[in-house]
Amino acid sequence: MKTIRVNIQVNNEKNVLQVRPYETLLETLRERLNLTGAKEACSMGACGACTVVVNGIPVRSCIVLTAEVDGAVITTVEGLKENGELHPLQEAFMEKGAVQCGFCTSGMIMTAKALLDRKKRPTKKEIVKTISSNICRCTGYKKIVEAVEEAGKKMA
Amino acid sequence: MILPKFEYKKAKSVAEAVAFYHDHKGRARYLAGGTDLIPLIKLRLSTPTAVIDLKDIEELKAVSRNNGGWLTVGANVTLFNLKNDPVVREYFPALYESLDATSCETLQMRGTIGGNILQDTRCLLYNKSLEWRIARGFCYKMGGATCNVVPNAKACFSNYCSDNAPSLITLSAQVKLVGPRGERTVELEKIFSGDGRSPFSVEPGEILTEILIPLKKTQGAYEKLRVRDSMDYPLAGVAVSVKGAAGRACIGGIGLAPRLYDLKNINEITIKEASDRIYADAKPVSNTVLSAIYRKRMAGALLKKAIRRVLKEGWK
Repeated sequence: MKTIRVNIQVNNEKNVLQVRPYETLLETLRERLNLTGAKEACSMGACGACTVVVNGIPVRSCIVLTAEVDGAVITTVEGLKENGELHPLQEAFMEKGAVQCGFCTSGMIMTAKALLDRKKRPTKKEIVKTISSNICRCTGYKKIVEAVEEAGKKMA
Repeated sequence: MILPKFEYKKAKSVAEAVAFYHDHKGRARYLAGGTDLIPLIKLRLSTPTAVIDLKDIEELKAVSRNNGGWLTVGANVTLFNLKNDPVVREYFPALYESLDATSCETLQMRGTIGGNILQDTRCLLYNKSLEWRIARGFCYKMGGATCNVVPNAKACFSNYCSDNAPSLITLSAQVKLVGPRGERTVELEKIFSGDGRSPFSVEPGEILTEILIPLKKTQGAYEKLRVRDSMDYPLAGVAVSVKGAAGRACIGGIGLAPRLYDLKNINEITIKEASDRIYADAKPVSNTVLSAIYRKRMAGALLKKAIRRVLKEGWK
């Protein structure tokens, strides 16, 4: 089957790729660009482990075709670091111990990043609502919410 | 899970999308947000030869107030953007609440109102992998000759799980469909076929382009039964919209189509009557994570709860 040419900017790097029409963004990121931060868990768009930010919006990359995001600006968890310094969210997740098995973490951080980018200092209620989009089955969310609050303070 | 092979087409206009559909001899599927379609394709429940992306069609992205007293919502407007539209909040509280109750925030940002209305019906024994379904045997909805939930049944009992169609129906919304044979506008409650194998009476190739809502202020509420409040499809959902002493109620999440009820002279007696009627009409079967009898009882309870909240009486 004919491949499709797409231009995507991932973590400030421009990529011109020939992708399969039925290739998901998650497959492109993990298998072509070797960005394995976004995880495949449910593969049905339910859990949020594969969340990346596309044009400022958190998107579940396992149910999005790469062809759909032609021309988009994409940030994955690998692109959060700036000049060798971790993003405040990454710092806060470590400080607060918001990680146990870590499988949901990159999705959590990317969902939270999209929230903090569109809203300075969100309330705890807003954070809980946003973060409840993602499933974590070990920490119980308390420390994750605390970490996002902490990062929100630092970024404001 | 790896997707099967299909072609991808990006349509720039509705006419172009319909032409692509024609090229693929009816074996293509339209794609908007993809939150329903892509999982269905992954599970091999839908096997299109091509996917036609409608997301870049500009004319489907707008919300506008017409002079004729309608709010026109393009089918590609995301649930999140529609929820945050000030007109929706002020005029249509039932719709605001159902949008807010749909899935989770991330999926609201991706899913569109058109796609939410035209989502496929669901069943615990249908939305499964191909291997699982082969082991169990195909049901009516998969092209088989039996129902895996109700033995000896002659029909499909899958559930229509849009939260927003019931609230739009209480608001007397209409939908515009454009297809190979021209365009038509129908009342939303008329697009359901009652057949689980193809739950919508939408012609092959037709695209839902607009939702038209009469621009009249209403009071309203939406009550939803689900296991996890943060996500999940409705196991029953009741929308109520009221103008003055009369209103409309609509129940979704149970059976193949939402069911509409007229509410006249709302008072304690008529609320009880309506709730009894919804309870009697609701015929859930054991095809969700909750028992059928619980969902049946909750159908009536959710209606009372919604009406009382509209009337600001609180939950008794």
